[in-house]
Amino acid sequence: MPLTVDEKSLKHGVLSLVLTLTEVIQEALERQALRRINGGDLTLEESERLADALLELDEALEQIKEDHGITASVADLHRGLDEVVDDVVDKLINPRRWAEEAGA
Amino acid sequence: MRCGVTAERAPLRPTRDPRVTLDDLVEVLLNKGAVLHLDLIVAVADIPLIGVNVRAVVAGMETMLEYGMMRQWDEDTRAWAERSVRRRGLDLREGESVVCRMSGGHLLAEGIYTGWRPGTVHLTDQRLVVVRDEPREVLWQADLDAVRAARLEPERTVGGEERLRLRVALADGGEALLSAQEPEKLHARLTDACAGRLDTPFPFRPAVEEEPLHEGHLWFHEPRRGGPLWRGGQGRLTAAGLVWKAPVDSRPALVVPMADIAGVERSAGYGPAGEGTVFVVRTTDGGEATLAADDPAAWTERLAAARPAMGTG
Repeated sequence: MPLTVDEKSLKHGVLSLVLTLTEVIQEALERQALRRINGGDLTLEESERLADALLELDEALEQIKEDHGITASVADLHRGLDEVVDDVVDKLINPRRWAEEAGA
Repeated sequence: MRCGVTAERAPLRPTRDPRVTLDDLVEVLLNKGAVLHLDLIVAVADIPLIGVNVRAVVAGMETMLEYGMMRQWDEDTRAWAERSVRRRGLDLREGESVVCRMSGGHLLAEGIYTGWRPGTVHLTDQRLVVVRDEPREVLWQADLDAVRAARLEPERTVGGEERLRLRVALADGGEALLSAQEPEKLHARLTDACAGRLDTPFPFRPAVEEEPLHEGHLWFHEPRRGGPLWRGGQGRLTAAGLVWKAPVDSRPALVVPMADIAGVERSAGYGPAGEGTVFVVRTTDGGEATLAADDPAAWTERLAAARPAMGTG
């Protein structure tokens, strides 16, 4: 599965890539934040501050995507990356497919 | 991912969710944690020359804490954040609210010491306050009731740049000079907040602005360890002396008090401004500063005029 970066404009392509990676990091931060909050170590005040900050980050990212009109291409790229990962994981846990691919 | 076990059919058999996303992969990695131990020797002709020993752990903080790693660090960081959050902002009085806030400073003039102390300028509906965060101190404050007048004043910095400062006059006759990131905005908001209470005209004496005898672009042949170097900057000749400062420097590189100037002469040398643009300022202690200007004649004349006792070469 090749990744397709918008060819028309290199700037948009690079920006989309950066934002996609930022989204991945953001997603990781959000999931870890959820774990920390559920872990019960944080005080209520800290949880609120954390949630506010992540919400602000989310809004800022959405705003940037909107401003540059790359919401769609970021979503595409994100899906493309997911498919690559899906493919790799599939192969790793399913050695039989190697043989299938080699045979085909 | 999940592992399904079907009792009757095949033994353990990994199955997988139809879709695995990158986000899931990162989450699994962080939740489980990853440990890397790397020992590496770089050898030439079988003789080990460089050793590398890397131990790295990547994991979500919750996982780190589960394994008892970074616990103290985590507590310290959160405790520090808690303190700084509490400290941020201003201790407001009852019913007081902040109108605007920006970084700025207060000019402290106490005895022989005069200097800017940076902090944050807060304008509330009751007070004008300059607070420094670290170490915590209220540098200056005045009740709006006591503010008689406020005015923006251009201040000439040594490098020749102009900055607007806010001068505030108080009811008790005192006055203060504040700097602010957006002086116009602060002045406008302060005027609004004191609507009708600010006296006009401004009751201060006019600021004594030292009139320069001559100023302009000037090259300085600066002595350096690796040999002298021509640098461009702003020269300023006042009754007090000659000052030269490069735009990138924070303070003037050349300051010659008028009393120390022994003489000035044109030099035949070649400067960055062209042939015959170089002149040398000699000081009473035998030192000399080599300068160059597009109009060297104007500089040497003004220098000579400022100090009639000295001879021009």
